[in-house]
Amino acid sequence: MIKVNHATLTYRSGKGVFDLDFKIGQGQVMGYLGPNGAGKTTTIRQLTGFMKSDSGSCSINGLDCFHKAPAINQMMGYIPGEIAFLEGMQGEEYLKYIRQVRGLRNDHLQKKLIDMFEFSPKGSIRKFSKGMKQKLGIVAAFMHDPDVLLLDEPTSGLDPLMQNRFIDLILEEKKRGKTILLSSHMFEEVERTCDRVIIIKDGRIVAKSDIKSLKSAQRKVYRLKVKNPLVAMQSLQAHGFEVKHLEQVIDVTIPGDQIGAFVAVLPQLEVTDLDVKSLSLEEIFLHFYQKEDDDEKAIESDPV
Amino acid sequence: MKKPLSLTLFKLTLKKNWKLFVIFFGVLTMYSSVMISMYDPENMQAITAMTEMFPPKLMEAMNFSSGFSDLTGYLASWLYGLLMIGFPLVYSIILGNGLVAREVDSGSIVCLLTTPDSRVTIILTKALYAVLSMVVLMASICILNMVISQAVFPEYFDSDAFLQLNVTVGLANILALSISFFCSSLFNTTRYSLAFGAGIPVMFILFNMLGGASDQAEILKKISIYGWYDPLEIVSGAETAQINLIYIGLIAALLIASVLIFKNKRLPV
Repeated sequence: MIKVNHATLTYRSGKGVFDLDFKIGQGQVMGYLGPNGAGKTTTIRQLTGFMKSDSGSCSINGLDCFHKAPAINQMMGYIPGEIAFLEGMQGEEYLKYIRQVRGLRNDHLQKKLIDMFEFSPKGSIRKFSKGMKQKLGIVAAFMHDPDVLLLDEPTSGLDPLMQNRFIDLILEEKKRGKTILLSSHMFEEVERTCDRVIIIKDGRIVAKSDIKSLKSAQRKVYRLKVKNPLVAMQSLQAHGFEVKHLEQVIDVTIPGDQIGAFVAVLPQLEVTDLDVKSLSLEEIFLHFYQKEDDDEKAIESDPV
Repeated sequence: MKKPLSLTLFKLTLKKNWKLFVIFFGVLTMYSSVMISMYDPENMQAITAMTEMFPPKLMEAMNFSSGFSDLTGYLASWLYGLLMIGFPLVYSIILGNGLVAREVDSGSIVCLLTTPDSRVTIILTKALYAVLSMVVLMASICILNMVISQAVFPEYFDSDAFLQLNVTVGLANILALSISFFCSSLFNTTRYSLAFGAGIPVMFILFNMLGGASDQAEILKKISIYGWYDPLEIVSGAETAQINLIYIGLIAALLIASVLIFKNKRLPV
């Protein structure tokens, strides 16, 4: 179990993470999301023991993350957001080193993972492509069959097929009772693997949610071009849709369960163009958060 | 703590750094052999005449002197005065910076930090490699010089005095290496690691040269770690136990400080 207990870590610049408080139980996958610079990596640095919290504490399976890092590393796998390997090493040489230092007796799991991701660790790591380095990082993080996984954007650089394989791997590990923290930018990855999600902004947790309520709250923005915007606006508002009139276009925000009603209205509007404006993962979550706020639902009451 | 050192990590460190060692071993072997081959006991005037071709202050700054007659004094002055501290210093700077700060800067130290080896194990193993490699470098050059000198000019060579000289110069070099290693453990970027880890010991070498060249600047020699002994005096039988102990004390202090700092600091990787 990963436990972060009111952890604060401030950098000299004043940035950092403040009063983080969450738990991830065994067999759970927690999505960890937030814009760049929100503090995702700073959180993970405390869990890996690279930095000590200024106040509060972090523990993994009851062991303090800073003081007991070697014991934790024995049962933890970590994929860094920006993987850097030791200079001048061959891929196979690196995997062999990790096996030795972890005291792994065989390379069965290593071979299985290499097959799964269809890659060859032969040759100098320096000459590997981004995707190959990522695969090497995945194999190195999983091959000792760790109980706890810290994954910082683990599929960056992988092609869609391999991203799917990775999702399958996560689901399989989850079934086997692993505890997983997944920082990601990809909605699909989070949607398919995570039970719950935390969103962090400016170093603070702004929302905690389970993935089901998140999905039901998911909304899409449709961008319309119409012949007569003012008439169309009135018509849409009359149907109770949330609309925003920009210079040339109208943005209509439709909750997932009202798409049918929206489509029914469209023929009356003399639409010349229709586009779906894709929301970033953060926007989706922030919308969700705002909604919760409007409903005056206390976030603390969420059973996280 | 389970184990203070990791054999696996030591082997990895050796694998990554043996080429650097071989280069410096080769350079020092070449200089040593050339120096010994230039020695001619029948014709010391030739060497004296050569020194006189240069400004005397320059010769003093380089620790080159003509106040000797045997091969031991010749090597102490011409080889151990500058070359046997200058080249090992370059080795120390490259190695010291590469072992810690460069890996932190590039983020590749994550590969070590996420293994079951503790930070203390990692830094101690790297420090051990650094010190051992310098000991082997100095010892192998020392043995090489002794073997050649004994074979070619046995009557002009004093092995015991030469050994004493090598111990003290070796300790001075390990101290310079410890300074580089300490800076490498303290700073998270190679920029600062090199600025201080190279800057401070290079300054000591310059101070030693300036202090040797001018009587007014003698104080510079006194504060330089390389100015605490005189190679010619050591081979003439000067006592070295005290200065050796000071070197050992400072080396130990710097390495312990390196471990403590690395054990507790924030690693932005």
